Amino acid sequence: MPKIRTTRTKIPEGYDAISDILDEYAKKMRDAENESHEGKRKAESLWPIMRISHARSRYIYELYYKREAISRELYDWLLKEGYADANLIAKWKKSGYEKLCCLRCIQTRDMNYQGSTCICRVPKAQVRSGTVVECVHCGCRGCSSDS
Amino acid sequence: MPPKADINKAGWEQSEFPILCETCLGDNPFIRMSKQEYGRSCGTCARPFTVFRWNPGTGGRFKTTVICQTCAKIKNVCQTCLLDLEYGLPTQVRDTALGLENEAPTSDINREYYAQNMEGKLDGNKSGLDTGRSASAGKEMLKQLARTDPYYKRNRPHVCSFFVKGECKRGSECPYRHEKPADNELAHQNLQDRYHGKNDPVARKIMSAHAESQGLKPPDDVAVTSLFLTSLPPSSTELSIRTHVLKSLPSVEPTQLKSIVHVAKTRCAFVNFKERSIAENAAQAWANGLEIDGERVGIKWGRSRAAVKPAASTSAAVTAS
Repeated sequence: MPKIRTTRTKIPEGYDAISDILDEYAKKMRDAENESHEGKRKAESLWPIMRISHARSRYIYELYYKREAISRELYDWLLKEGYADANLIAKWKKSGYEKLCCLRCIQTRDMNYQGSTCICRVPKAQVRSGTVVECVHCGCRGCSSDS
Repeated sequence: MPPKADINKAGWEQSEFPILCETCLGDNPFIRMSKQEYGRSCGTCARPFTVFRWNPGTGGRFKTTVICQTCAKIKNVCQTCLLDLEYGLPTQVRDTALGLENEAPTSDINREYYAQNMEGKLDGNKSGLDTGRSASAGKEMLKQLARTDPYYKRNRPHVCSFFVKGECKRGSECPYRHEKPADNELAHQNLQDRYHGKNDPVARKIMSAHAESQGLKPPDDVAVTSLFLTSLPPSSTELSIRTHVLKSLPSVEPTQLKSIVHVAKTRCAFVNFKERSIAENAAQAWANGLEIDGERVGIKWGRSRAAVKPAASTSAAVTAS
């Protein structure tokens, strides 16, 4: 929750370069939080939040693991401060979960039947019929690694 | 299962598997069903019961049980669609055809008490109805009216209410049907009425269609409130006719029967009712024929009052001479 910096320790270098983009994400999140609920389903109102959270975590993940543009120190500090979801990033490192949308969709305890996952985890090739899938937890349209 | 310690919960229902009809289960022989103990309160007796939920084939809407097993057993109906398990017909149709009386109370604490009592009595026994003693004419009628194949249109998703207003934003991913809702008499149904078998529009439609096909279309003259019975057995008396008439119509009270005119010579009788609606109910119940003293009698509508008396006396005169 807190993006307000209550740490007394020093901010690692490299933060200034990315602070603009992180501020933009923060603004988007604010807008999503303050949107009205009119015309949306109850679950649908939460989708933008989950989406922005995913996007922000993705940004930081890519900076560190893919582009190697920030230091280990900065990365750890960002995770500690809550700019990215550490648990979600941990899943992205596993094979098959590289594009995972959110942690709720693989949580088998939340599902109706024993041991199942959300419909968005099913590859598009195996979901027959032409129906578009929008999962109820986060609005994801398919987050398996091969679609 | 151990008996429930809490006396309040002792009346609540637990079950292992639901009582369902073919159509509700769907076309797929493989079904995955979820069970939730005390998921909802029963639609008719308001006691908590075990809710079962499954997908009846693709394109279906995930059906769930809406009444408890006890209530289903009392009336021998499916737990989801509330139609008879043997014939797939509404309760009202089956009851009028077989002449069964509805004893289940409909209000509040009465029905909970009744349901609880029946649960004890029916434990292990499959159905609450004794179908042995009912008329075979009634059973034939039901067999005629029943469907032969499962009717999967019942399992379709409900009509999208947003689409009806023109506001559905989900487009192709919307799981509800994008169709115009049918706005006829059949659209106003209600669980309690359907279960107890009174005031059910579907039942009315089925029975009046059947009665018409049997030549028993209610005559246009609304003043006609009598039915004409033919080929009575020679041993019948007015009393025996009256008894049989009332027995086959459990919902009709003896006071609503105005009179019975029995003409022994021609072996026919007129049954006069006080109200036109009662007469129509009788016609529908007897559409396949009524049994009196072991013989099937024919049923026709009587003619307008002016013509009734001469018809009886002329036919009597004809056979006499």
